[in-house]
Amino acid sequence: MLLFRSEEHVNRWCEQRGLDRGAVFTPEQLWTVAKPWHGRRLDRGWKRFTPAEAEAVFAGAGLTDTFWHL
Amino acid sequence: MTDDDVRLHILRELIASGTAPCVADTGAALDVPESDAAAAYDRLAANRVIVLEPGTHDVLMAAPLSAVPTSHIARMADGRSHYGNCVWDALGVIAMLGQDGGVETVCTDCDAPLTLTVRRGALAPTDAVVHFAVPAARWWENIVFT
Repeated sequence: MLLFRSEEHVNRWCEQRGLDRGAVFTPEQLWTVAKPWHGRRLDRGWKRFTPAEAEAVFAGAGLTDTFWHL
Repeated sequence: MTDDDVRLHILRELIASGTAPCVADTGAALDVPESDAAAAYDRLAANRVIVLEPGTHDVLMAAPLSAVPTSHIARMADGRSHYGNCVWDALGVIAMLGQDGGVETVCTDCDAPLTLTVRRGALAPTDAVVHFAVPAARWWENIVFT
C-alpha cells in the first residue's frame, strides 16, 4: 500500500516497473478504513476482523469491487 | 497470562519506547517463563496479529506499529512519533492513540514529501492518492510487500 502525489505518479510508477495498476483511492477513504481497523487495538480483548467484518469496513469507505473481497 | 496480555504488552512497549520487547523481557514483565512468552509470540504470529522476523522471535510488526524504522511516521500532537508499517497503519496509529497528528511520508514515485493531517478526527484535504497493488485476498501472501 503506497501513497503518491497524484494518479499521474501512480501510472508512471506502474509503467516503469511493468506492474498492473491496482486499486487507486483517496486518503479520505483510507482514513475511513483505518479508524475502525486500528482504533481499538489497545482495547483488551481486541480481535481481528472476520472476512465479512473486514469487507463491511471496506464497503463503508466505498471500496466494494472484487479487489476488496476476502 | 493470555495471548492478549502479550499483544498489549508489545504494543504498549512499542508506544512507550519505540522498541518491541524480546520474549525474555515480556516473560519477566508478565511473570511467566520465557518459553511461555515465546509460545505466545508464535501463536500471535500464526494468527496474523504480529509479524516476526523469519526464524526468530524478533517483532517486525505489531499493527499498526512497526518495530523497525520506516518512511511512514505518525507524528502526534503530544510531540511523540511512531513508525507505521505503511500509510494505512500510520493513520491507524493516530486512530489508535486518539490524538491529532500527521503522517509524514514521501511519494513512492518521486520521493516528494507528503503529509496527511488529522485534526479532531477529520483528515485534512489532500491531492495525494493511495495505490494498492495487491488485492485484499492476497495481502498475507507477502504482508511486508503489501
